Amino acid sequence: MDLSRRLFISGATLTLAAPALLRHGLAQSAPIKIGSLTPLSGGGGPYGPEKAKAHRAVVDLVNTAGGVLGRKVELIADNTETNPEVAVRAARKMIDADRVCAIAGTWASSETLAIMPLCQDANVVQVYTGSSDYLPNGDRKGLCFNLQPLNQAWCVALADLAAKRGFLEVAFAGPKNDFAASMGESFASALRKVGGKIVGEPFYYNPNQVSYRAEAERLIATRAPAIFIAGYVTDFTAVYRELVRGGYKGKVFTLSFAVGPDFKKVVGSAADGILHGSPVPPVGKDAYDVYLNLVCLKPNGQVQAPYGCAAYDEMNLLLLAIEGAKSTEGPRIAEYIRRIANGPGERVTTFADGAKLISTGKGINYDGASSSVEFLPNGMLKSRDFALYEIQKGEDTLILTTTSIVD
Amino acid sequence: MDAYLVAILTVAGVYVVLALALNLQFGLTGLINFGVVGFFGIGAYASGIATETLGLPFVGGLMVAILAGGVTGVGVALLSLRLSGDFLAIVTLGFAETARLVFNNEDWLTGGPRGFIIRTRPVMSGLSRDVTAWAVLGLVAAAALITFLVLRRLADAPYGRILRAIREDDLVPSTLGKNVFVYRLQVFVVGSAAMAAAGSLYAHYVQTITPDNFTTPVAILVWMAVIVGGAGNMLGSVLGALLVTVLYEGSRFVTAGISVLDAEQISALRFILIGTVLILTIRFRPMGILPESQRRASASVPPTTP
Repeated sequence: MDLSRRLFISGATLTLAAPALLRHGLAQSAPIKIGSLTPLSGGGGPYGPEKAKAHRAVVDLVNTAGGVLGRKVELIADNTETNPEVAVRAARKMIDADRVCAIAGTWASSETLAIMPLCQDANVVQVYTGSSDYLPNGDRKGLCFNLQPLNQAWCVALADLAAKRGFLEVAFAGPKNDFAASMGESFASALRKVGGKIVGEPFYYNPNQVSYRAEAERLIATRAPAIFIAGYVTDFTAVYRELVRGGYKGKVFTLSFAVGPDFKKVVGSAADGILHGSPVPPVGKDAYDVYLNLVCLKPNGQVQAPYGCAAYDEMNLLLLAIEGAKSTEGPRIAEYIRRIANGPGERVTTFADGAKLISTGKGINYDGASSSVEFLPNGMLKSRDFALYEIQKGEDTLILTTTSIVD
Repeated sequence: MDAYLVAILTVAGVYVVLALALNLQFGLTGLINFGVVGFFGIGAYASGIATETLGLPFVGGLMVAILAGGVTGVGVALLSLRLSGDFLAIVTLGFAETARLVFNNEDWLTGGPRGFIIRTRPVMSGLSRDVTAWAVLGLVAAAALITFLVLRRLADAPYGRILRAIREDDLVPSTLGKNVFVYRLQVFVVGSAAMAAAGSLYAHYVQTITPDNFTTPVAILVWMAVIVGGAGNMLGSVLGALLVTVLYEGSRFVTAGISVLDAEQISALRFILIGTVLILTIRFRPMGILPESQRRASASVPPTTP
C-alpha cells in the first residue's frame, strides 16, 4: 500500500484526535473523580491518616449505595508530606492528569494556600481544614470552603481564659510559619480587647531545631507571668522541656494538638498546669456518632479524631453538592455547597438522606459531624465548638466549652 | 493528561539545568556542592524580588538571578574552596540551610513562610491556560538546551581537560603551572549562576515560592540525577534528570491501582519504589547510565609544531 501524503496526514490527525474524542464520549458514564490530598507524614502526620480514612469511608459507603448521579465516585488519594511544594506537585497531577473536580483534605494552611492558584485556574473546588487568617484572601472565584474556624476565633477564647485567670501580660512564641504568625497577630488583638497586652515582641523560632535552649532562655528573660506557645507537638515538646529545665514558674497556654498523649507520656507530671484549647467536634451529637461508627471508633464521650470528623463533612458536602448541582463543574458545585450547608431546607446528616430529598426536589440543610457547617460568604465557617482544658495529674480536665461565632 | 505531561516536562527541564550545573562542578571538577538548593533558591527569590518589588520584566529578573547566583557563588567559593572534599560538602550544606532560614525569617523581603507570589510570567500575557503552559515549556526547554550546549562545549574544550585533571589529582595541573584555585572558583561561580537561572525559571513557572520549596531533598534529587545519569557526562545528566523526574512523578500512577493498601501505605510505597530503582541502577551501572567517555591516549593526535 502506498502511503500518500494525504493519507498520512489524515491518518495522523485522526490518531492524535482519538483520545480527545474518546474522552468526550466517555465523560457521561465515567466515574466522578475527587482528590483526597492529606498530610500523611510531616507535621500533619498525626492527623492526615484519619482524614484520608474518613474520605475513603464516605466514598465507599456512597459507591455501595449506587454512587452519585448514577456514576461511581473515584477517590484519587495522595500525600502532601505537610509540605506546600509536594502538595503543589500532587495537586497538579490530580487536576491535569486525573481531572478531579474538587480537592479535599489539605490541613496546613501553607498547603492550602500553595495549591489555591492552581485550583482557581482550573475551577477546582477546595474543601479543607485550616486556620490561618490569610486563607480567604486567595479565593477570587468563591471555590473554597473551610471546616475549621480561623485563628481569630481560637484566640478570642484563649485570651478570655487568660484574662479570667488574671494573666493580662502574656508573652507569645511560636514556630516561624504562616499559622503561628497569624495566630500571634490575632492573639495580640484579642488580648488587647480584654485589657491585656503581649509582653515584648512576638517571638518566632525555627521549627525542626535540635535544641531550643536559647529560645527558652529568651522567653524566661521576658519575666512574663504567662506564655502562649502556638506550636505543633514536635517543637512544643522541646520548647516546654527547656522552659521547665530553665526554671520557668509562670503559666503556659497552648493548643490542644500540641499536648496530645505523646506529649504527656514524654513530659510526665511536669505537664500539669498547662492550659490549652482547640476546636472540638460536638461530642454526643448524633452526626458525630454516625461518623465514629463509620470509621469503627466507639463513641465514649471524649473527643476522638478531631480532624477525621471534619474530613467526613468535607466529603459529604462535596458529594451532596454534585448530586444537587447535577454537574461536576467547580462553580456549580460551589454554589450548591453554599445552598446545602446553609439551607433553607430539611436537616440531613448523611449523603443517603440528602440524596433522597434532593431527588424529590426538596431543599436540604447539611448538619455535620464536626459542626453545624454554616458558611460565611467567603467560605469560612460561621461557628464551631471550642473547648478549653487544664492538664491536671496528667489528664485533660475540661474547663469550659464555648461556641465561637464569627460575625 | 497532556497538560500534566507538559507540567512534568517543565519541571524536568528545570532539573536538567540544575543537574548540568552540578555536573560541571562535581562530575567534571570534583567539587562536592551539597548547596545546590541554596543557589536555586537565591535565583528564585532574586528574580521574584526583581520583577515584583522592583518591577523589572522577566528577562531582567533572570539577569538579576544569574548575577545574584554568581555573586553568592564567589562569596561561598572564596570562603570555602580551599577546603577539600568532605569539608566543602559540609560548608555548602550549611550555606543552603542558612539561605533557607533567611528566606523564612526576612519577611519584609521574601514574604517569609507565607510565600512570595510572582505574577510576572516568562511569556506574553493573555494567552490561554494551555498555550501558556506550552510556551513556558518551550522556554525552559530552550534554556536547558543552551545550558547543555555551552557546558558540553566547555567540557570538550582544553578547559574541560584541565578540570578533569583537577578532579583526578590537583597536584598535576598545578605542577604544569595552572592556577587550580582560579579554575575551581570559575567553575563554582558558573555553576552557581546556572543554578540561580534555573531558580528564576522555576519561580516564574510555579508563581508562588515558599522557603519549603528549597529544602535539601531537592538537592538530593539533583545529585541522584547526576549520579544515575553518569557523573562527568553532560548527556548523562540530561538523561538522569529526566529519569529521576519521570520516576518521581510517574510512581504516582503505578501505585494508583492498588486498593488493598490505604493512602498512607501507598505514599510510603512510592518512596520504596524510587529507592529500589536507584539502588538497582547504582548496583548494575555504578558509573551511571551514560558513563564518562574514556579518551584514547593522544597517540592518534598529530604532533603540533613547537
